[in-house]
Amino acid sequence: MKFLICTSSFLFILLALDINAHGSEERRVVLPEIYSSGLFPCSGCHAGMQPDARKRDLSFHQDIKIEGHGEPRRWCLDCHNPGNRDTLRLVNGEAVEFKNLPLFCGQCHGRIYKAWQRGIHGKRTGSWDSPKQYYLCTRCHNPHSPQFRPLVPAPAPARPKETLRR
Amino acid sequence: MRKNLSRRSFLKISAAGLCASALAGCSKWVPDSEFFGKKFTEMSPQEVQETLRRLEEKYTKKFGLPFSVTAEPPRENTVFGYGLDLSRCIGCRRCVHACVRENNPSRNTEIQWIRVLKMNKGGFDLEQADQYYSPEQVPEEGHFYLPVQCQQCENPPCVKVCPVQATWKDADGIVVIDYDWCIGCRTCMAACPYRARKFNWKEPAIPKEELNPRTHYLGNRPRMRGVVEKCTFCIQRTREGRYPACVEVCPVGARKFGNLLDPKSEIRYILDNFRVFRLKEELHTEPKFYYFFSLGA
Amino acid sequence: MTKQMKGQMLFIRGLLNVMFKGNALFYVWMSVLSGLIIAGAGGYVIQWQEGLYISNMRDQVSWGLYISNFTFLVGVAAAAVLLIIPAYLYSFKAIKKIVVFGELLAVSAILTALLFICADFGRPERFWHALPFLGSPNFSSSVLAWDMIVLNGYLGLNLFIALYIGYHRYHGREPKKNLILPVILLSIPWAAGLHTVTAFVYNGMAARPFWNASILAPRFLASAFCSGPALMIIIFQILRKTTDFKIENKAIAKLAEIIAYAMAINLFLMGVEIFKEYYSATHHLSPMQYLYQGLHGHNQLVPWIWTAMFANIIGFFLFLIPATRNRLLTLNIGCMLIFAGIWIEKGMGLIVPGFIPDTLGEIYEYMPSQLEVIISAGIWAFGALLYTLLARAAIAIDMGRLRHPEAPPAAHDEEEGPRAKDIMSTKVITVSPETTIEDVSKLLVMHRISGIPVVDSKGKVIGLLSESDIIFREIHHEPHLVEKLGDMILPRTIRASDRSGSTAGEIMTSPAITAPEEAPLKDLIRPITEKKIKRIIIVDKENRPVGIVSRIDIVKALEHIAP
Repeated sequence: MKFLICTSSFLFILLALDINAHGSEERRVVLPEIYSSGLFPCSGCHAGMQPDARKRDLSFHQDIKIEGHGEPRRWCLDCHNPGNRDTLRLVNGEAVEFKNLPLFCGQCHGRIYKAWQRGIHGKRTGSWDSPKQYYLCTRCHNPHSPQFRPLVPAPAPARPKETLRR
Repeated sequence: MRKNLSRRSFLKISAAGLCASALAGCSKWVPDSEFFGKKFTEMSPQEVQETLRRLEEKYTKKFGLPFSVTAEPPRENTVFGYGLDLSRCIGCRRCVHACVRENNPSRNTEIQWIRVLKMNKGGFDLEQADQYYSPEQVPEEGHFYLPVQCQQCENPPCVKVCPVQATWKDADGIVVIDYDWCIGCRTCMAACPYRARKFNWKEPAIPKEELNPRTHYLGNRPRMRGVVEKCTFCIQRTREGRYPACVEVCPVGARKFGNLLDPKSEIRYILDNFRVFRLKEELHTEPKFYYFFSLGA
Repeated sequence: MTKQMKGQMLFIRGLLNVMFKGNALFYVWMSVLSGLIIAGAGGYVIQWQEGLYISNMRDQVSWGLYISNFTFLVGVAAAAVLLIIPAYLYSFKAIKKIVVFGELLAVSAILTALLFICADFGRPERFWHALPFLGSPNFSSSVLAWDMIVLNGYLGLNLFIALYIGYHRYHGREPKKNLILPVILLSIPWAAGLHTVTAFVYNGMAARPFWNASILAPRFLASAFCSGPALMIIIFQILRKTTDFKIENKAIAKLAEIIAYAMAINLFLMGVEIFKEYYSATHHLSPMQYLYQGLHGHNQLVPWIWTAMFANIIGFFLFLIPATRNRLLTLNIGCMLIFAGIWIEKGMGLIVPGFIPDTLGEIYEYMPSQLEVIISAGIWAFGALLYTLLARAAIAIDMGRLRHPEAPPAAHDEEEGPRAKDIMSTKVITVSPETTIEDVSKLLVMHRISGIPVVDSKGKVIGLLSESDIIFREIHHEPHLVEKLGDMILPRTIRASDRSGSTAGEIMTSPAITAPEEAPLKDLIRPITEKKIKRIIIVDKENRPVGIVSRIDIVKALEHIAP
């Protein structure tokens, strides 16, 4: 599982979040993730920096490439909140915390957001009839290039001829 | 006289040969309490408990691990259903191997309860499918993937043909096998349209470190040579409320599981909101394993 | 030791003697079979220890050589009925004589088939799970559970018939017909049911389109009715060559005729099936394509099925053309071709393609492993050995070599040649004693006969009324005519004192000369020459007429015997 995870700077911390959005009485536990490899909070660096909305080669975040996510129009501050770098910014300008990521992604991906809320999109672990873990979008998708990465398949079964007794 | 002698010696030699081979055959096997045991469905609750304790003791001794064997019954108002999102599956076979680690199938004959078929896009011809694909990365261009395991049919043809009632559909819809009652005739394998049933062609062997000691009598307890086994929706997990191992491991979240009788369950949401199909519907086996597509392109 | 036990010991000793004592050829045969059996048993020990892993069966093709042989052998067993039908429904005497060998073949074939089932089971020691009362047979829904009942029932029926007839012959008694005949007649539909149910085991599986064709059960029967008699024809020739038991060409010719019909039906049904699959060309064609042409580059069975096809077609023509059917050489070639052809077609050619491609479209080409072949050969050898011993016992009993010491010597044991029941005409017209002479005369003229038995109200013979009696009635009041003609037309010994009267009872000759059905020819000739009568009424044990032997019948029989 681990090797699938986006190469960008996201790691997980367990945080409980109630996303009882559709009124189910079932309690759900979400495994969100907050950023890191030591970079979060973003404000640690960005607090004193002047926001620069121009498209350019980034001198620091060289590993970030926008691929298959609305390029070439898309740029950092479309999503990252220039006012508070530790949050994202909804289309209406409202800030949203990283832990409420699905709400943010759901702005564009409404159907998927709905499916995720109902337990259809994305994986679940735990109990089919009681608490279960939901995974935040960025657990599986790199927000900058969200296409699911190809995997090395686990070994193929043996062909019947190969299992014949010699 | 000569004739008589030759006849007698001839008889003696053949008799000796037969006895020798019979003895050699029996030396491997001595009838025990399992041989004279009762069918699971005919045991009293007390006999079930005795059997479970006996098996725990036996497996613990045999494998050097503390085993638990339960016989958790079906829950009330529960019928399990499974959803598999074909638009998501990438054919990585994580489910196959998670299932192997969970369910204690034999490693030496490589029994696997899940088969993943690599299908050609633009059709659904099983004859064109490849189960042995081994590229560097999946998914491959031009293909989609169709995992197949026991479909837990509502009209299971395997149960119908079993000559000894060693397999049956439990109240929660799981088709189970009493490994101690199966005679190994493999008629169920011929009758299954999904190749869900696997046979223990030889004595199963599992490395100790790969054993799962949390077992269910009708599920993942260690099997013996000459009996049939198959996916049970991880009966040892699902009857405790947990997800099957394949659901939990799936990296793309293509596998969904829940109670068909619960209108708020994930599986019911799928049936109500997506277009689903079942494999070989024309056979009227009524699988409780639904394939669906959550995505377009 | 009680007398009964002594008798049983004597029987067993005698039985062992006739079973195991033979000439050099017999010992060679038995040694070969025993060798194969021992090898097979050895192979099975390995299978027992290692599991069915030693076979080439796998999850993709989960039935193989064992189940193929099982299926074929059930057909052979069912074909025993082909002797019973002509023997008991049509009283075909040449076959009635050998019907017990068909029953013993059924017994051996079923036991061999059951051994193949045991060889195929993963846990044969749990067979009792399938038994009623002890285990939990899955009744009403599992065809296999039904098949076990039908198989064992058929085994029981045939074993009972063979043992019952054999036991009575051993004691020199005639089997009680009202007891054995219903059993024999029951075995006819049972045989058809046996093979039908076996076909249903495969037929009922929607997962396997190759088997899921309605034509399967009819094809099973048709092919069984070729392969079974083909085997019997070969066996019968071996029996009459190697023993003193006589089997008439007539019987063999009858079986050959049946093969011709059955093979015609079998080939027709096969053609029908091939048309349906190839013309509609759905996905369900794949197994047939694999079998006849090869599929996706896999064609291991192709040479086999075409061998079978040619063997069956050539065999069919050999049986269809009377010239080749009636020549023993071509007949035997035909038998072997058909036996081999059906064995391939119905064994490997039916079971294996059912799994290819498998239900997930995979193709695994199955060919039996060496050990599977060795074990199967051992089981076949067991069947052959069993049949050899059973047939030897049956022949010994039939020829009177194995006989209870106090048993009365049956007439036919000493007498070669035909008996009354073989030569009599079975069309018997009888009259009651009250019938008027006018009516009797009309009957005689109408049926072109010269004498008619007179029976009482229970159907028992009380006399014979011949045309002589009628003539004598006309002349009895003219003594000179009586003097002149009397010796000519009436046997001196039974001349009645009073020949007047107008009913059959009044003028008949009584008592009539009768003979039992089993009477040998010479017992029939004697009264005819000595008493100067023209016909003998053949009666059953209750003295009811069952036939008439006239002088001409005897002349015909003598002509038949004459070299």
